[in-house]
Amino acid sequence: MKRILAVLQIILLLAILFMLYSPLAKIGLLPSLGSIFHTQQPRIDETPVIIQQVKNIAQMFTQTFYDEYVYDTGIIRTPLLSVNKRLIFIAKGEVISGFDLSELSEKSIIRRDKSIVVKLPPARILDVVINPSGFDTFIEEGEITFEESKKFHEDARRIFDRNARDKGILKNSTEQGRQMLEKFFRLLGFETVDIIIQQG
Amino acid sequence: MNADPQKKSRARKRLLTLGAVILALLAVNLAIPRKKVPPYVGVRTLKDLAELATIEYSVTKIVSYKDVAWYGDRKILFEAAATVKAGIDLNELTDQDIKLDNDSTVTISLPAPKILLFNMKPENMREIFNESGILRSDFSNQEKDGLLSQGEKDIRAKVAGMDILQRAARNARILVESWLKKMGFEAVRVVFKDQRGRP
Repeated sequence: MKRILAVLQIILLLAILFMLYSPLAKIGLLPSLGSIFHTQQPRIDETPVIIQQVKNIAQMFTQTFYDEYVYDTGIIRTPLLSVNKRLIFIAKGEVISGFDLSELSEKSIIRRDKSIVVKLPPARILDVVINPSGFDTFIEEGEITFEESKKFHEDARRIFDRNARDKGILKNSTEQGRQMLEKFFRLLGFETVDIIIQQG
Repeated sequence: MNADPQKKSRARKRLLTLGAVILALLAVNLAIPRKKVPPYVGVRTLKDLAELATIEYSVTKIVSYKDVAWYGDRKILFEAAATVKAGIDLNELTDQDIKLDNDSTVTISLPAPKILLFNMKPENMREIFNESGILRSDFSNQEKDGLLSQGEKDIRAKVAGMDILQRAARNARILVESWLKKMGFEAVRVVFKDQRGRP
């Protein structure tokens, strides 16, 4: 009986210690017990990087738009016995715009002595970049599959594209392209430079 | 003889006190919400660029991870794809880098090529295998992102060791030569500066 009481007392004392620690860990004053026991970061296996395609391109990047966005899926209702799902993540990345110069033809450049006329295609969005390191999960509730998460990530990319267009990335891109080429042709000794950019 | 019942009642009292303390602490624990750091959203900014991308590599990598423990394993396998573009930064071009000998001969010193863009699109990623033991939790979205981030880091490092910069330089030379010839220059010489910007 004595021994049982002593063991009970030890268990209760340990429970008290745990309960004193737990609220301090919750408010961030002490590390959580989970983080104490799982200090090692998982390491992926060593595998090769395979080149699938090499493409010669001629793209002139003239504008970049850095963005950060908090994506909230809202509560996703699931069948009665399953837990509802919700994912909130922060996406960080950039949108790059400019000109595809591979569309230039013989007729796009006209030179007359110290004058030059260059016709460029319209500026367009060339890349929307949000890499895996640019996604930061904030809240994850319920079981979210990889395919579902991919759909949300793709949606975040569409939002970045829209935000960049709303901020006037194409207009700025056109102007920067004009200034950049004017400067370049003047360095080449041309006195009159005319850059004609098609409207998108 | 009377000592035993007294000891027993003292022990019971102590247990009751401890029990009461535990209940009080349990209430405190339940009342305190878990600390959540509010997400920080930075400023959206537009910035001018003057870069000429001349080569694009499409690469793939299998990202695999095995979490082995005595109480069960977890294994996951992804196929990840990335696009890498390299070229030259024309912002580094100065007046001294273009030398005109006469109206038909030009020498241009281009900056050293570099990787300009790295893109791992979600639509090009695939989860091939995912299995967790009965006593193990499934891989969370955060864990999957963490593993893919490691894959991203590895692809960046390995692509930098490939011949992408040499090819970017070769293409930049071909492009600039062909444009300048279209503009009427008969002799065009393209040279590259080193990483420190020296010819």
